[in-house]
Amino acid sequence: MIHPWQIALITLYAFIQPNETRSFNIGMSMPILAGWFTGLLLGNPQTGLVLGGTLQLMTLGVNTYGGTSIPNTTVGAIVGTALSLNSTPELALGIAIPVALLMIQLDILARYANIFFLHRADHFIDERNYDKAAFQNLLGMIAPGLSRAVPVFFVLCFGQSFVEAVMGWIPQWFMTGLQVAGGVIPVVGICILLNYLPTRSKLPFLILGFLLAAYVKIPLIGVAGFGLVITLLDYMYTRQADQRWAANQEGSDLDE
Amino acid sequence: MSKLFTKQELRRINLRHMFGLQLGHNYERMQGLGYFYAILPALKKIYKDDPEALDRACRAHIQFYNTTPQMSEIIIGMNVAIEEEEGIAALETATSLKTALMGPFAGVGDVIFGVIAGTIFGAIAGNMAIAGSTVGMGIWVAWNVAVLFLRTKLFDLGYAQGAKLITTMKDQLAYVTNGASILGLIVVGALIPSVIKLKIPYTFQSGEVSLSVQENLDKIMPFLPQVILVLICYRLSKVKGMTAGKLIFIVMIGAIVLSALKVVG
Repeated sequence: MIHPWQIALITLYAFIQPNETRSFNIGMSMPILAGWFTGLLLGNPQTGLVLGGTLQLMTLGVNTYGGTSIPNTTVGAIVGTALSLNSTPELALGIAIPVALLMIQLDILARYANIFFLHRADHFIDERNYDKAAFQNLLGMIAPGLSRAVPVFFVLCFGQSFVEAVMGWIPQWFMTGLQVAGGVIPVVGICILLNYLPTRSKLPFLILGFLLAAYVKIPLIGVAGFGLVITLLDYMYTRQADQRWAANQEGSDLDE
Repeated sequence: MSKLFTKQELRRINLRHMFGLQLGHNYERMQGLGYFYAILPALKKIYKDDPEALDRACRAHIQFYNTTPQMSEIIIGMNVAIEEEEGIAALETATSLKTALMGPFAGVGDVIFGVIAGTIFGAIAGNMAIAGSTVGMGIWVAWNVAVLFLRTKLFDLGYAQGAKLITTMKDQLAYVTNGASILGLIVVGALIPSVIKLKIPYTFQSGEVSLSVQENLDKIMPFLPQVILVLICYRLSKVKGMTAGKLIFIVMIGAIVLSALKVVG
């Protein structure tokens, strides 16, 4: 049984999170923090932490580039943690993934809603009421906040009995499949990163990273360290080459 | 010429920008409303004796704008400096500067603050969380706080240098983009074996002899299933109209079906 004060606090987190993320962005959007916070309130932080960590790895690199809407693993972590506190990690993931995907639509809706405030701001500028126009920007917190808080609120109120009812007829192969899927899905984030980076023209660096981790078994922080050194070396050499090229150019100019 | 703004006033614009740039984010003009919100106090002071100029400036700064928020500190810093110095005559310079810089800045900024930071800190925090530790999460939060301090510095840099910065930064920006993408690719390469969990438990049986697929694949190259999976998904991600959501859905269904057939595990 989830108490009303617990529902209130978790719903509040869900309302603040998208706005915190779009402003100072200290980390409320991390599914790890969202899951851990939910678990802490409901008496089992480990469930939330493990689910949050799994969701985090699944969506590495899936970022809101250019303001696109992405699977909302933050809400996924909250809902998944709350509804599976005393059951298995597979169930938590099985709840979290569909929720995260469904939430994309609500985020799109919220961004449409904010066009309304933009037009009100235009209207106030016409009236030369600039402070009121600027205030519309702050009202832009409402729709994204509600788009997270409302579903979280309803799921926390009514989800428990629903999930218990559904649990009875989910076959084992499906639960195992979800667990396998959780391990495989990070490939999506990796492919998005590859699309974002100049993969074709700088392929050797990708292979180097793979080899360091796969054969030399260097942990990720170590690979990042090696990567930093290689990046700095590349910087030194390209700069040197550029300078030499520039010097040559000047030299040939003098010859003429 | 004496400067119009005090240090506190500049910091206030900087803070408004950090806080509000994206709050009114919408599909029509993205960060336009937020940019207007951030810069309004500066405009009000610059054009306090010229309501017509203030009106023009307000209308100009609520137009379409979208870039990496961290990089945007440089742009708004420059913008304030330019209009402070030359007034309404420089409005066009300021707006075209914004439009010209937001694309390239987003290119660099998204890679540094999105791809690299998000990937490295996310992978560390995620791995530690699965092992039951909140330390990785704390490291990421610490990085985010450090980024806020960096944002005050970027704002000051943009303000102090104004439009001059463009010429000095053009070459530097190319080096930064190049370096960031090298580091990014190395880390992503390491993610493939360390983050994707995939095994082929299938074994061929013929009489007495059983042949484990995974063991034989390992002899060719460790993490071969992962590499093949990445190649397939990379191809799929190039398909027109593909989004992260759709790709996750496809991979999920594929994994559930193949796991039910006991091909992958």
